[in-house]
Amino acid sequence: MTQFFQQLINGLSIGSVYAMMAVGYSLVYSIMNFSNFAHGGVIMLGAYFGFFSMTLIKLPFAAAFGLAAVGTAALAVLIERIAYKPLRDRKAPFLYFIISAMGASIFLENIVIATIGPTFRTYPQVFSRTPISIGGLSIGRLDLIMFGVSALCLVALVLFIERTKTGKAIRAASYNMKAAALMGVDTDRVVMTVFAIGGLLAGVAGVFFGMKYTVYPQIGNITLKSFVAAVFGGLGSLPGAVLGSVILGTLETFVAGYLSSQFRDLIAFVILIGVLVFRPTGIMGKPSEDKA
Amino acid sequence: MLTVTDLHVSYGGIRALKGVSLTVNQGEIVTIIGANGAGKSTLLNTISGFLKPIAGELRYRDKVLPRKPDRVVKAGICHVPEGRLVFANLSVEDNLLMGAYLRHDRDGMAADMEKVFTLFPRLKERLAQSAGTLSGGEQQMLAMGRALMTNGDLVLMDEPSLGLAPLLVQTVFDIIREIRALGKTILLVEQNAYKALDVADRAYILEQGHIVREGAAAAIKADPAVRAAYLGTDSKAGG
Repeated sequence: MTQFFQQLINGLSIGSVYAMMAVGYSLVYSIMNFSNFAHGGVIMLGAYFGFFSMTLIKLPFAAAFGLAAVGTAALAVLIERIAYKPLRDRKAPFLYFIISAMGASIFLENIVIATIGPTFRTYPQVFSRTPISIGGLSIGRLDLIMFGVSALCLVALVLFIERTKTGKAIRAASYNMKAAALMGVDTDRVVMTVFAIGGLLAGVAGVFFGMKYTVYPQIGNITLKSFVAAVFGGLGSLPGAVLGSVILGTLETFVAGYLSSQFRDLIAFVILIGVLVFRPTGIMGKPSEDKA
Repeated sequence: MLTVTDLHVSYGGIRALKGVSLTVNQGEIVTIIGANGAGKSTLLNTISGFLKPIAGELRYRDKVLPRKPDRVVKAGICHVPEGRLVFANLSVEDNLLMGAYLRHDRDGMAADMEKVFTLFPRLKERLAQSAGTLSGGEQQMLAMGRALMTNGDLVLMDEPSLGLAPLLVQTVFDIIREIRALGKTILLVEQNAYKALDVADRAYILEQGHIVREGAAAAIKADPAVRAAYLGTDSKAGG
């Protein structure tokens, strides 16, 4: 029983980090109807931004964290400007966006390999590795902080989307971009905001990912799992992305804990295929004509 | 109020407007009639800033009209789009508030909200309901109410009667008159030429990207050639 709760807590913790990445995929999808595969590259660079802020610039953890998040927000907006805006202006088909996104993703990965190098790097230790024990359970400090910070970020995001005028404009644009523009919404700004938010959370998630595992140029591939979680929850739906991520994270941890960690990723992709076959809109997704 | 001069627009690789000129004066209801694919929606979408003209000029209140949709709204032109495009995922109230997105005058917004409720009492009953659950007629009313909330002086309407039950069609045209009575100017695009000419002061006939006829709505409605081409031989058809 102890092991069960132990695994559950680990699962929730990793699931919450997935959630921060998954909402980035979902937000962009809800507005622009395509899967932004460059998001993984942004998360990867977030891990590097945090790493170098701490090792090269020797910033304290909190500052490095903030710098990474701001850096990835700027990067995500820049990618949108270069890779997607020209396509938006020409009203290109969605397929072109995906190809452009893949191009951006490959570019980011290779520019990192070419400049920083392909080596694995380990974050300096910030939190003591001795777990905290609560009621017989021992919980890693990093896991606890990951869960706490992710939960805070997600609550802040929900409040922003539900309560602010910009949030309402984002929801309106996610339903219909043209109609939102007819209300006087500057849709370029909505798109920019969405990429900035996705980038911000990607930075936070990237730093956590780097701390939990290691930093290397292909780390973005792991983030594909958060895309799976977003599809599982229903692409375009924020609650869906969070729910899908938590379920995926927990499932994974249980598989790794009770079966073998070899099977962990297998589960993620079996879920993806299963969802696509039996419930293409995911748990809470909006019905979609052309999911790209 | 609105002057369009020698407008050329291409849409989807096809030259949809080939030198269209028209004017809309303050307080008028002007209608553009024409067959499917004549370029009516292209014209409205160009005025609203969604399509870029190849040539020609658009002026509104003696100023060149901006070429971005949100700036066009700011300039005072609102647009009730074809297919209504209400935000199905938002409540009726939030839809109306989206119309007031650029406004900060709380008193003016409250007053306009009251006007919308007077015009469409049904919307008031359904404020908290999500717009996706409304009937087609109610959605058309919401789309109109939402446009009025922008407080634009010129209202563009694209096929407001499309897909509505015959009884509701008459209601929509009655409402168009009432909207004019609120001091608005209306540019109406309609396939229901008979009803559109009934409500309008002046009319333009658009045919394959060209204006082929213009004049007082009553005169156009009485013209036998127009009747044959656009109104059907049976003038009571209305449909």
